[in-house]
Amino acid sequence: MPVMKKISMLLTISILLALTACGQAKNEGGDKGTGGGEGGDTKKVTITFMHLWPEGVSAGQNRIVNQIIQEYQNDNPNVTIKQDVLDNEQYKNKLKVLSSSNQLPDVGVTWAAGFLVPYVEGNLFTPLDDLLSEGLGDSFVAGTTDAYAIDGKTYALPLEFNIAPIYYNRAIFEQYNLDVPETYEEFKQVVSTLASNGVAPIALGNRDRWTGSLWYMYLADRIAGQEALASAIKGEGSFADEALLRAATEVQNLVDMNAFVRGFNGLSNEEAKSEFLNGNAAMYLMGSWDLPNFTTNEDIPQEFRDSVGFFKFPTVEGGRGNINSWVGGPGVGLFVSEKSPVKEEAKKFVRYFVERWGEQSVTGAGVIPATKVDTASLDLPKLYEDLFNEMNNATSITLFADVQMEAQAAETHLNQIQALFGKSVTPQQFAETHDKVLQR
Amino acid sequence: MTSMSQTGRIGSGASKHSSGGVSGKIGYLILYVILLVVAGFQLFPLVWLFFFSLKNNQEIFNLPPLALPKQWRWENYVKVWEAGNIDIYFFNSVWITVVSTVLTVILGSLVTFAITRMRWKLSSLVLGMFMAAMMIPVHSTLIPLFSMFNRVGLIDHPLSLIISYVAFNMPITIMILLGFYYALPKEVEEASVIDGCSVHRMFFRIILPMTGSVLATTSIINMIYNWNEFIFVNTFISSDRLKTLTVGVQNFIGQYTTDWGAIGATLMISVLPILIAFLFLSDRIIEGIAAGSVKG
Amino acid sequence: MDKVMSNKKVIALYVLPALLLIAVIIYVPLVLTAYYGLNAWNGIGSPRFIGLSNYRELIRDGLFWDSAWHSFLLAIFSTLSLILYLAVAMVLASRIKGANTFRKIYLIPMLLSSVAIAQLWLKVYHPTNGILNSFLETLGVKNPPSWLADSSLVLYALFVPILWQYAGFYILIYYAALKNIPTTLEEAAKIDGANALQIAWRIKLPLTMEVVKVTIVLAAVGSLKYFDLIYIMTGGGPNGASEVMASYMYRLAFRSYDFGYASAVGFFLLILSLAVTWIIRRLTASDDKIQYS
Repeated sequence: MPVMKKISMLLTISILLALTACGQAKNEGGDKGTGGGEGGDTKKVTITFMHLWPEGVSAGQNRIVNQIIQEYQNDNPNVTIKQDVLDNEQYKNKLKVLSSSNQLPDVGVTWAAGFLVPYVEGNLFTPLDDLLSEGLGDSFVAGTTDAYAIDGKTYALPLEFNIAPIYYNRAIFEQYNLDVPETYEEFKQVVSTLASNGVAPIALGNRDRWTGSLWYMYLADRIAGQEALASAIKGEGSFADEALLRAATEVQNLVDMNAFVRGFNGLSNEEAKSEFLNGNAAMYLMGSWDLPNFTTNEDIPQEFRDSVGFFKFPTVEGGRGNINSWVGGPGVGLFVSEKSPVKEEAKKFVRYFVERWGEQSVTGAGVIPATKVDTASLDLPKLYEDLFNEMNNATSITLFADVQMEAQAAETHLNQIQALFGKSVTPQQFAETHDKVLQR
Repeated sequence: MTSMSQTGRIGSGASKHSSGGVSGKIGYLILYVILLVVAGFQLFPLVWLFFFSLKNNQEIFNLPPLALPKQWRWENYVKVWEAGNIDIYFFNSVWITVVSTVLTVILGSLVTFAITRMRWKLSSLVLGMFMAAMMIPVHSTLIPLFSMFNRVGLIDHPLSLIISYVAFNMPITIMILLGFYYALPKEVEEASVIDGCSVHRMFFRIILPMTGSVLATTSIINMIYNWNEFIFVNTFISSDRLKTLTVGVQNFIGQYTTDWGAIGATLMISVLPILIAFLFLSDRIIEGIAAGSVKG
Repeated sequence: MDKVMSNKKVIALYVLPALLLIAVIIYVPLVLTAYYGLNAWNGIGSPRFIGLSNYRELIRDGLFWDSAWHSFLLAIFSTLSLILYLAVAMVLASRIKGANTFRKIYLIPMLLSSVAIAQLWLKVYHPTNGILNSFLETLGVKNPPSWLADSSLVLYALFVPILWQYAGFYILIYYAALKNIPTTLEEAAKIDGANALQIAWRIKLPLTMEVVKVTIVLAAVGSLKYFDLIYIMTGGGPNGASEVMASYMYRLAFRSYDFGYASAVGFFLLILSLAVTWIIRRLTASDDKIQYS
């Protein structure tokens, strides 16, 4: 029967295809990093490197990464580095899926503190302390590697370092005769003047939730002091501490004052930022990673860029925090997989990468690295220099709450922030929910 | 009467309703206006997307959404095609979509035919199994599927996508074909058996062509799902050369900034093929019916 | 005739490939999901068996039940909107001028990916310069609400694009079904003096009943499992006001790293979908299959 023949032929072909395909895939898998086979003096090594800087939108970082890889491969001809590039959100998903089946890349990007914990507990990242010897450790800004250390061992090397100032639009301030506020009372004055004149005082996109968390953290730091906040986050202290409660209440006061753009709780950070960039909002509390937008990004009108300045979060009268205490910390870092078949080579690469990255990231991508930067030798825009000065004078830097906490607690915190700002919980409830999940 | 029904003129009607004078005409007019308004609503996303793809970040957030771009930035398209590797992703999207759709429709037709026309005790049970498969939330299959594919070396291999798409689309394909197959007149089968046809010949030569219109329907639905599918590609595929358009869009979402104009251009490029395929196939639905094959 | 039509070999050949595929790709993960639901697992280390603890927690989990309620609301709205789609399909299937073109245009939103649709509707709902609020302001409305920030409105605001996204799908299905009704029936009814509405109600509707029943199940179950626009547009916020079961499960798995519990939620969602399907089939059951001759 001709039809039967056709069907069986199709089936056979598909099965054959599938088999060869499977075989091919297995072979490719076998090549990955076994470093074996070829004869000769040096073994061929392939390092898989997964990161989150796609060319499309992180052009600067992407360029630097490729350049470093090129240089490394030139210096080490037996090494091939295979890149896997994803965007931020998808990177996190992919990492999760890979880790659940022990398929982590040899080298990858990770976040600090709370994010790191499950990976370390699962023995997925290898300690990198030996890389910190021979001076590399000293080249890091103090404290940045601590965020990546658990039980005394460092599990990733940070590539970024950020602090969060309040950016403001000088043109708007001049228009309403406002001075840079140094105390919280002055700040509230600024807010009410702007609000009564129909200008959105603060651009905030709280759909992403961590943006609102910045505001809470600064208020908590200024009112309750850095130690109270830190211990509450660790689960040792309590969020119901009087000063911390006051911070939560202040958040809601600001909301009542219409300090934030309309509909902030449903706006993304991008949408909020555009309010600031368009001159519709006067202030924007954000990390130093946004500096390129206010300095070098040609897509943004020069006129606006020239009118952006920043100030430190004001002090609260009677509060325990001082003006040189910052919220911020290390950004992403590089890890080496514990199960990597080419661990030593991967570690060598990571060390090389961190050093080269630190030399180029500011000028090449506007990113402040975690390694110390010699600002004198570089020609940087004024905002960068000012910010670097502030970094050097900082008395303390508190890492973002949702980064410090472990995944579950971080999610709860972020949701509570949205609830607090949306006034669907009281400060008391806010505190209680936090304590419950952190003191487990 | 007989001649009218045999040619089966439908759709672009030349004949008017014979029902009553003025009120009928006014009702008709109102209906027509409503239809036009709704059509406007449905077209507007395409128009919006087109403008969106020609702006840059500033204009996108600054100007009202339907405003014309100040500068028609065709370079968004160029950037996306060259630097964004969209040409590779485009090719992958096309072939994976087509192969998956063809496989799903063929296998689905075979199953539906067997369940509806053949006689066997387990038919209801098997149908139930296919339908029940529709209940599973896709996201909870991610991790199990990943480890399974990983074990057979299918991770970062297009076959993982194709098998997954075929499997997940099978229930709905069968569901759509089901109604149609049930309504097929028994006479066709009886006639072909009497003529000495084997089941295979009956299916492939007679029944399958009769299902032209539903095949077009399920093909469109399958294609749309496969073309726009995202989460499986993102989870199973890492190599850039194997990615599809849906994941390619993510290239423009950075750690701290997003290039919306480029995303718009990518989305526009993504919509065009499926739009063309749709326009082409939707005519087939009409052809299939006008051929009069069902009424026989 | 019977022998030909019950040839076991042919049946097996036709059915097994697809069945095997489903078994491997869908049923195996299903079983695994059920298994993971009985464990505590963060997706990274090894799972730790904890029996029914996750399900006990599920019963007490207020956030989950809120999300379940939201999913149910969506299912209800979605099913009700089927009536509208059927009506539109009837109009399109009739001999109205340009029905062909209308049909094609109406189905266009169905072609867009969720990302595109999300972006579009975010621009519609933007609190200050969104299309909707700009329109309302020109009408004189003083302080139009922030649709995605207002906890009491956000869920309903999201229903609009979700339903809109799938309108084309259902219209297409109904259209195909309506087109399969032999025109002879309609002609005969017209000659008997029936007007358009009577034809629609007495002839077209009953003949498309099978398909309608199918779409009811699709709409209901699809709504229960719905994820895309909710997650992309609001992430389930503010503070869970727009959370649905699928987005809740996703965040548990991929953000809170609580994969065991997420699997329990997923499994529960599955059972729920099965139950709803069964109920709907019960409620709409009828024994007669319509014959044309």
